[in-house]
Amino acid sequence: MDIVQLAAGKTLSSSAVFLLLTVLLLAAARRVSTSIILFGLQSAIITAQVMATAYTEKSAEAWVVAGMVFALKVVAIPSALLWLVKRLKSPRAVQPAISGAKAVFVAAFMIFLSYAVVQPYAREASVPQDALAAAVALILTGAFLMVNRRKALMQIVGLLVLENGIFLAALTTTFGMPLIVEIGVFFDLLMGILIMGVFAFRIRDTFDHLDVTKLRRLRG
Amino acid sequence: MMLLLPLLIPILGAGILLGFGAHGRARLLALVVGGVEIVAILRVVLTVYSSGPVQFGRFLRADGLSAFFLLNIAVISGLALVYSLDYLRHVEGQRFSSARWFYTLLFFFVFTMIGVCLSANLGLLWIMMEATTLASALLVGFYNTRGAIEAGWKYLIVCTVGIAFALFGTIVLYLAAIKSGLSPAVALDWTALMAAPRLGSEVALLKLAFVFVIVGYGTKVGFVPMHSWLPDAHAEAPSPISALLSGVLLNCAMYTLLRYDAIVSRAIGATFSHTLLLIFGVLSLVVAGLLIVVQRDLKRMLAYSSVEHMGIVAIGIGLGGPLGLYGALLHTFNHSLGKTLLFFAAGNVRENFGTLRMDRIGGLARSLPKTALALTLGSLAIVGLPPFALFVSEFAILSEAFAQSRIWVATLFLATLSVVFGGMFHHLSGMFYRDMQQSPAAKRLALSEAVPIAIIAVGLTWFGVHVPAAFKGLIERAMAVL
Repeated sequence: MDIVQLAAGKTLSSSAVFLLLTVLLLAAARRVSTSIILFGLQSAIITAQVMATAYTEKSAEAWVVAGMVFALKVVAIPSALLWLVKRLKSPRAVQPAISGAKAVFVAAFMIFLSYAVVQPYAREASVPQDALAAAVALILTGAFLMVNRRKALMQIVGLLVLENGIFLAALTTTFGMPLIVEIGVFFDLLMGILIMGVFAFRIRDTFDHLDVTKLRRLRG
Repeated sequence: MMLLLPLLIPILGAGILLGFGAHGRARLLALVVGGVEIVAILRVVLTVYSSGPVQFGRFLRADGLSAFFLLNIAVISGLALVYSLDYLRHVEGQRFSSARWFYTLLFFFVFTMIGVCLSANLGLLWIMMEATTLASALLVGFYNTRGAIEAGWKYLIVCTVGIAFALFGTIVLYLAAIKSGLSPAVALDWTALMAAPRLGSEVALLKLAFVFVIVGYGTKVGFVPMHSWLPDAHAEAPSPISALLSGVLLNCAMYTLLRYDAIVSRAIGATFSHTLLLIFGVLSLVVAGLLIVVQRDLKRMLAYSSVEHMGIVAIGIGLGGPLGLYGALLHTFNHSLGKTLLFFAAGNVRENFGTLRMDRIGGLARSLPKTALALTLGSLAIVGLPPFALFVSEFAILSEAFAQSRIWVATLFLATLSVVFGGMFHHLSGMFYRDMQQSPAAKRLALSEAVPIAIIAVGLTWFGVHVPAAFKGLIERAMAVL
């Protein structure tokens, strides 16, 4: 086994550690722009994992997917979101409902939980346990960010993190879905961000703030 | 090729409207595109009806089940299109809020729902289902008021998260299919999954997949407790869109659950998936039924009634058996007719009173007799009284419940229906006969608003007295697929 093959094989499991690190940092992040950059970093790690999979599985489709992940989630979406932050000129702090220190504890607990949840499946399906646990941790953290942060933009970031987790789960268990499906999912993601951006502007213009917890006229 | 047309026409139509729809031409263009689209859909339905499933390439396929739901889309979106012609007259042309944008987004919305029904691949099905949210979110926020924007944002976020769970479920199903020996290229194809011989060996994965899918797509169906987006979106959207959301979108989401239910039931037996559907069905029925009583906004009340009826459909599917499934399918169609009528009537009320708060509306029976008649007819139909269509389908589901001696389901069903009956008519009688200081000057009911309402009223009665043989045939072909 040559050295590149070995490196590719190890990338899948070892990069899970870096993903878990981004999870903890995201929980502690104080600024929207920091969270967006962390999301970009996270996507870059996932790109590396897709490339490693493409190399070990010798799949041309996976190289295309890697290119798309890079173009979309590392470059396009983070820069679009950063542009939004600038244009919306909203206060930069994320205004969490739970303070940073507690949020890190919650995230750590979620990582622990993820390992516990995936253990039976990982043993049975012979997939790298770390990667699968990281995927579940991303899904949980994404959901947590969406409920914990008040900013409309942070809900978008939470959604993206959640989507990253689902993507990673597909990658580790089945080496990704068929290419055409992946392309469609990416397209939906892009359109979704676009429309959420439109709504973010409208919320700002109509309510003069981006605090979604203050959107509570509709009840019952 | 025949399957491609119903998808291409709305996309092209949306493009044409966006390009040339300014200066009051939008309505005429929309009518033309809509007419062509309906012909294209009906052609597919007729072909499937007379000569069986049609396949186009690897990704598009129409069988009896899709044909049934396609007919549903064609009928309701056609009626909503006609109704919207005059309804939109007082919309001022802001960005994204002009007649031109309305019809552009409307055709995108129709495109995505047709895509849901024509997908032969569960991945494509997911993509289309997510696209329905994206296409309709801007329509929900169309009025650009505080309430509309809040409802649109909530709709977008709640449904996108829900749908993300469905994607996870789809991936788990894909994993199960691959482990059972299907090749990755066809592992998400409906026909391959239904014919897969060894899919049944992956019990744990299939169960996991179905749980995620029912939570995910169940969010779009509006099952309690994932229903929180539904009343907001229905109440704040323009009335023709509320009708489309309630009458077609919820049915499309139910259609996806039917597909997954069929795959899982065939592989590991029906008990697991049917029990889950029954639980969500009864929960939605009872909770929404009780919430109807305390509503203060007319369209919110109608929205909760949609949740209740989706619960009834889920109960029908969950009970299974020929009568339960027949009742469930018939009920999706009947409910879409009845609820469309009610949302159109509610639109008239809003145009005249400028509000939908039921305690601020009074004297309706005198000032708007036609609208009051439509509301009465629609409510009688929606609570399931004979001789209207919903009675037939609810009766079928109820008989199945009794035949399987599921006394609890039947009792809760009947109890909720009577609560809903009391609640709805309490609200209605308030609006009809309450004395108001000043009644608004009644605007003339436009022909394009009156005609769809009349058509539906006739249809509801007709289907209540006698379900046409051809329609029964279509339902039987749909059931044969499952």
